[in-house]
Amino acid sequence: MKSRTFSPYVPRPATLVSKSPLSDLVTLYEFVQDNGKNLAHKPGQFIMVSIYGVGEAPFSISSAPIKESNVFEIAVRKIGAVTKALSELPVGTKVGIRGPFGTSFPVHEFVGKDTLLVAGGLGYIPIRSLLHYQLRHRQEFGRISVLIGTRTPKDRIFTDQIEALAKGGDVEVLETVDMPDADWKGNVGVITTLLPKARVEPQNTHVAMIGPPVMYKFVLRQCREMGIASDRIWVSLERRMKCGLGKCGHCQINSLNACMDGPVFRYTDIERLEEAI
Amino acid sequence: MTAYTVQMEQLPGLFAAWSAQCQVHVPVALETGFYDFSPWRPGTEIAFEYDVAYNPLKRFFMPPREDMIVFDLETYTAKPVFAAPSILLFGVHPYDVKAVTQLDQLMESGSVDQNYFSRRDAAVIFAMTPLAVSDTAFWASVGADKVDQGFDLYWTKIGPGTFHVEIGSGRGEELLLAAGPLAPATAGSREAARKAQVRAKTLGASRSLRFDWRETPHVMGRSWNSSLWHRKAEKCLGCGSCNIVCPTCYCFDIREEVDEKLKAGHRFREWDGCMLNGFALVAGNHNFRPQASERYRHRYMRKGKYIFDKIGELGCVGCGRCVRACTSKIADPCEIFNALWEESRNEI
Ligand SMILES: Cc1cc2nc3c(=O)[nH]c(=O)nc-3n(C[C@H](O)[C@H](O)[C@H](O)COP(=O)(O)OP(=O)(O)OC[C@H]3O[C@@H](n4cnc5c(N)ncnc54)[C@H](O)[C@@H]3O)c2cc1C
Ligand code: SF4
Ligand code: SF4
Ligand code: FES
Repeated sequence: MKSRTFSPYVPRPATLVSKSPLSDLVTLYEFVQDNGKNLAHKPGQFIMVSIYGVGEAPFSISSAPIKESNVFEIAVRKIGAVTKALSELPVGTKVGIRGPFGTSFPVHEFVGKDTLLVAGGLGYIPIRSLLHYQLRHRQEFGRISVLIGTRTPKDRIFTDQIEALAKGGDVEVLETVDMPDADWKGNVGVITTLLPKARVEPQNTHVAMIGPPVMYKFVLRQCREMGIASDRIWVSLERRMKCGLGKCGHCQINSLNACMDGPVFRYTDIERLEEAI
Repeated sequence: MTAYTVQMEQLPGLFAAWSAQCQVHVPVALETGFYDFSPWRPGTEIAFEYDVAYNPLKRFFMPPREDMIVFDLETYTAKPVFAAPSILLFGVHPYDVKAVTQLDQLMESGSVDQNYFSRRDAAVIFAMTPLAVSDTAFWASVGADKVDQGFDLYWTKIGPGTFHVEIGSGRGEELLLAAGPLAPATAGSREAARKAQVRAKTLGASRSLRFDWRETPHVMGRSWNSSLWHRKAEKCLGCGSCNIVCPTCYCFDIREEVDEKLKAGHRFREWDGCMLNGFALVAGNHNFRPQASERYRHRYMRKGKYIFDKIGELGCVGCGRCVRACTSKIADPCEIFNALWEESRNEI
């Protein structure tokens, strides 16, 4: 009988090299793996982060894959046990990581095309990985439009980067908030109010979207009305996850596992699944 | 297939030889009136006539709680935990063998479940043709009255003190001959075994699907919006008993514990159930299956369609354990599949 040594459940140590607040509840964390290796992820993938003694939870990788740098970023909202423990970690401490897991945005298919990135709330975190990848290979892509919707101005994340991006003119950035405060001068309304304002050429556009569960239906309907073909729309769907390996059953969307068949799905692959959107 | 004839008097010698090599589990009658697999000791009375084992056999390959890793908080390192106890399960009914081979396929596909196979590879399965059927079972109508793989030996009682034993693996044959040579099966004993297997099928057909089980995924495909889900789930307590007793349910949660000194700990998986309210609940209180009817439907879709679409087998082997475990009397795949077939048969 062969004796076993490998388990996909064993996390690898990684060290927290910096953290910076992005909003009241969201913090950006930078890690490097202790084995000195590049995470070698693809935009849209996620990792499982362990804090021993507390637990493990899935987080999207927010940085672009960069060969020359082993630092990778996640941005996390403090909302429960693991995310709270993470927020209390001092720089220099270790966590365990597994992954990267799951499917990614097919950047090769986007080459030469326009892309419309739709990010609701924390959805900007994984969208950012794709966007930053595209910016690093800017000449390969056509027009890039980013639509960002948050609940209130206080919930906005990566504000400086996004403002710089908007000023740069290289990328079309449209932002909105559901509920403005006194200082907010931008768009007000749900994210679908932005789509008509974006300069997209439906025939040549690929869409990537991530947001809260309620968002998809409305944005998808709008895309359809604009004439964007369903097989050029990519959605990332998040579910409860425990194993990341297609086994524990928590992330099931009908017969698919969001952790392995997703989180990024081509819309035509899930269009007929009742539990998807 | 190679086969031998074994006499009842030869069993004590065989069990003694086997238990010198591994932990042998056999069906026994419990005081509660149920049957279950229990460790064999000299003198243990084997319940050859058992109808169904109370607990599913998945517990031997994926225990209710199982350590996956141990971690050290000081060095921040973790190590895998693998258990591989040598066990022999004697007298497993075909539907339960089928449940195991189904788990084998699901645990193999995609990312291989190392913990499962660590235990599975160390186990020997001796199947046995059923002599009795529980009143909630319907395995004969879902093609689970007989199996042609997944066992090391296949025992069929062909007389008061005689067994016909088919060889399923080299390891099985080695164990069968562990206490000395045996008489090879005769044409007569083969025929007797065939008859006993036909008898089992007839016995098992007392409750049946009213259509070919291979149609189930199509039936389920037409039934997403059936009112049955609401009618039934209205009475669901969300207790998860149907998941726990099911030999083909394998969903799990992952949790962990640290020792008092906060130096080390272990992370384990634990049986979970899609019928529990929080199964698809995420932080921030969004539940992807908030209604009991949605959870209830998911379980039967999985049994009747999702698993089938993956491996070409029904995700239910008809053991009837869930039927008996459900206090609300609503967890009956046979009744549900029949009702949905009846409802939708004209829609084809
Ligand atoms: C693919 C994917 C990518 C994600 N990316 C991010 C991200 O970039 N930033 C971010 O802040 N959040 C992200 N989330 C959500 C994040 O995983 C949850 O907020 C987190 O699991 C909460 O864990 P907790 O222990 O703090 O909360 P608790 O409520 O204490 O949760 C306990 C456990 O339940 C499970 N769980 C609870 N909520 C979720 C959830 N929403 N998704 C999956 N499992 C859950 C986890 O295993 C978690 O450890 C992502 C989720 C998925 C599935
Ligand atoms: S669903 Fe019920 S009858 Fe079918 S295998 Fe599971 S416990 Fe047995
Ligand atoms: S055993 Fe019955 S009551 Fe309990 S969860 Fe299953 S269907 Fe609901
Ligand atoms: S997270 Fe366990 S199956 Fe997807």
